[in-house]
Amino acid sequence: MISIENLTVTFGGVVALDDLTLTLKEDVVGLIGPNGAGKTTMTNAFSGFVPIAAGKIVIDGANLLQLSPHKRAEWGLSRSFQKVQIVDDLTVQDHLLAVMDAQKTPRRDRPEIVAQVLDYVGIAACRDLLGEALNPYQKRMTEIAKCLVNEPKLILLDEPGGGLSETEMQRLRSVISGIKFKFGAQVIMVDHDVDLIRDVCASTAVLDFGKLIAFGPTDEVLQDEAVKTAYLGR
Amino acid sequence: MSKTIIMPLAALAIAVLILPALLSALWVKVATSAAIFALAAAGISLLFAQLGLINLAQIALVGVGGWIALRLNYGTEIPVTVIIALSGIMTAALGALLALPALRIRGLYLALVTLMAAGAFQILFNNFQFPNGGPGFWGVAQQSAADIRAPILAQTDQGYFRYTLIVMALCFGLVARHRVTAPGRAWAMIRQSEANAMAAGVNVTFYKIWAFALSGFLAGVAGSLLAGALGQLDARSFLASEGILLFALAVVGGVHSWLGAVIAGILYKLLPALLNDVGVSADIALILFGGALLHAIITAPRGIAGQLLAALQRNAG
Amino acid sequence: MVYGLFLVSGLAVGSLYALGGIGLVILRNSTGVLNFAYGAIAAASAMCAWQVSDWGLPGVISWLSAVAVGMALSVAYGRFIAPSLAWREPAVKAVATLGYMLILLGVIGLIWDDALRKISLPSDTVAVSVLGVRVTLTRIIAFTVSVAVVVGMVQYLNRSRTGLNMRALADNRDHSALLGIPIIKTETLAWGISGALAGFTGLIFGSLVRLEPTVITFMVIPAVAAAICGRLHSLPLTLAGGLLIGVVESMLTLYRPAAGLRSMAPFLIAALVILWMQRGEKLTFAKGA
Repeated sequence: MISIENLTVTFGGVVALDDLTLTLKEDVVGLIGPNGAGKTTMTNAFSGFVPIAAGKIVIDGANLLQLSPHKRAEWGLSRSFQKVQIVDDLTVQDHLLAVMDAQKTPRRDRPEIVAQVLDYVGIAACRDLLGEALNPYQKRMTEIAKCLVNEPKLILLDEPGGGLSETEMQRLRSVISGIKFKFGAQVIMVDHDVDLIRDVCASTAVLDFGKLIAFGPTDEVLQDEAVKTAYLGR
Repeated sequence: MSKTIIMPLAALAIAVLILPALLSALWVKVATSAAIFALAAAGISLLFAQLGLINLAQIALVGVGGWIALRLNYGTEIPVTVIIALSGIMTAALGALLALPALRIRGLYLALVTLMAAGAFQILFNNFQFPNGGPGFWGVAQQSAADIRAPILAQTDQGYFRYTLIVMALCFGLVARHRVTAPGRAWAMIRQSEANAMAAGVNVTFYKIWAFALSGFLAGVAGSLLAGALGQLDARSFLASEGILLFALAVVGGVHSWLGAVIAGILYKLLPALLNDVGVSADIALILFGGALLHAIITAPRGIAGQLLAALQRNAG
Repeated sequence: MVYGLFLVSGLAVGSLYALGGIGLVILRNSTGVLNFAYGAIAAASAMCAWQVSDWGLPGVISWLSAVAVGMALSVAYGRFIAPSLAWREPAVKAVATLGYMLILLGVIGLIWDDALRKISLPSDTVAVSVLGVRVTLTRIIAFTVSVAVVVGMVQYLNRSRTGLNMRALADNRDHSALLGIPIIKTETLAWGISGALAGFTGLIFGSLVRLEPTVITFMVIPAVAAAICGRLHSLPLTLAGGLLIGVVESMLTLYRPAAGLRSMAPFLIAALVILWMQRGEKLTFAKGA
């Protein structure tokens, strides 16, 4: 369970997140909102990339914000970025090993974890390919695999569905939906694609101008009048 | 044994066994210097290829390594090989100190910080000179230099050349080992984006400092080998302009492999001597270097080594 | 009296650093290139000026030739080499100019062998007394020109059409192209102005300090230090930085223990400025330039 308490982030005079309080219990939680609503700021607050003006993020009784950014991965936070961060001259396996290096995963366990995770996301055949040789879908899946190798407690996915075809989206959906069952991690997913959110997120939070305007079961939230006005433009 | 290690080992064996016998006394000395500066260039390449950082102060660190080695050689009874290692470690610590600005800035400003450091060291060397067996902390005497001790296994010029080649190869091995293990992977993530590396749990600060320290270590070892090869050092060898030239040649040679560093060492020391030997002005070498740097930056980011290796692969396949 | 002497000579050298820094900053502001070849261009210009006066041509022609050669060498790089690097990061653009610097150094070395040369300007013989110190007209010119260039350029960049274009280009190349700003013309102009300043600086440096190509070439390092004082951006601060460096360097001569290390002044001042620029910043990520 994740509780966000009075979280406030300001840049100069601009309030990017305004006194946000929210408790997330479901396996996969969606986070939506128009551009500039504060979605990315929120993921960056989890990662420790933005200065926090007030509030805390408590996960299983621990305040995440007290850890330095790189320690959060060790604790069990992983994330993907909106822009895929695959290194051209590292193999898929090396990307996963880099995460496990930082995690100090015992050397003998590593091959098995790599095999298991790559098998789960369905790119086992790409293990020894260099980043530059991957197609966008394989890159995306490598990013998700990276998020799974550090025994995660919480995974943040920033627009994982960007630029994928319909069949690829289908596979992405089943991968994201199965994470909690297979790896035990809760997922927060930021996306613009309402269909994707509806399919995989049990509950969804909606941000607008840094404020929480709706939160609850996804279907109800998407029917909410305030949400439709702010986000769906209807 | 993997294929990637056979070629370097074969090259080393040929160089150690055959070159000293082939070359005349003068050319053995030149080749020794070339190998030493290949080692220093490997440090520049490491920072540029792995982290995209521009270090124009490598020559200054070579000077520092040489200074420490001379000081220890005159002032203590420590075996020369141990001195080389010590000097490498101390210079590594100084390199790590240079990394401190790199934690907050990168790109052009970092290059400028290293350039300022190179300028400052040039003046320090010029002012205090290098130890030559004199008294006091600076160890500089007015009379001509006293002799320094050579490594036990390398009492002749040929022996010292072999010794240098082996030390160089060991250091290249150290760098190669870093590239394929945890530090290499961490550096690659940092180069892609610091946010990405941090999110993956990489300790960005530690690995940046480590890269500078390793590069400084190579410079320190190179400096102490140079001190041993020449017997005494001259402040004019460590001008900021030399740091710029060595950086340029590391890029021209190719920053992504040990071969590039070797090419840089050859261009830096051997080519001017060769041109001189056939009566061509050293200025021609400068023009060639400048043109090659522009060429490397505009069209051949992997340098001469990259082009050679690609050609080899084409022929093999 | 003795302080006056060192103050005046410090201001003269400092105004050379400042002139160098100003030329660098003008170019960087409009093209994004920090030109390490600036000193080599200055050296080539000074050598040409010497050559012209050695041929017995009048002093004015020698002055003009320095400025013309500086412009030509700078514009040549700006037109033929810089465009292929236009989209690369600033550090790479700067490193490329190191290549040009090496080429120019080599060419200068081929044309003029090492020899003791002197370039005497007509203005060297005229002198006035300032603070009881005899100051040659050359020094006064160096100082006045650097101040005048700063005032003039600031006015020009703020008021004129091309000045505005240069500033727009510095902000965003893509947008400038969309707005119909003639990129090539504007950039060429910046390369030209910067080159002319390099030529002028080289000439004065050759006359006041030393006429030796490598020395003038690496004068670019203290010039960069002056530019750093202006954060590679502000002309007035670059001027102030250059003058400060010159004066500190000159004054240190009076303090015996530091006398040998006085030429470290540019580097120490630049390093302090870089540290000061980061004061109070708490950064998660390293900042690029």
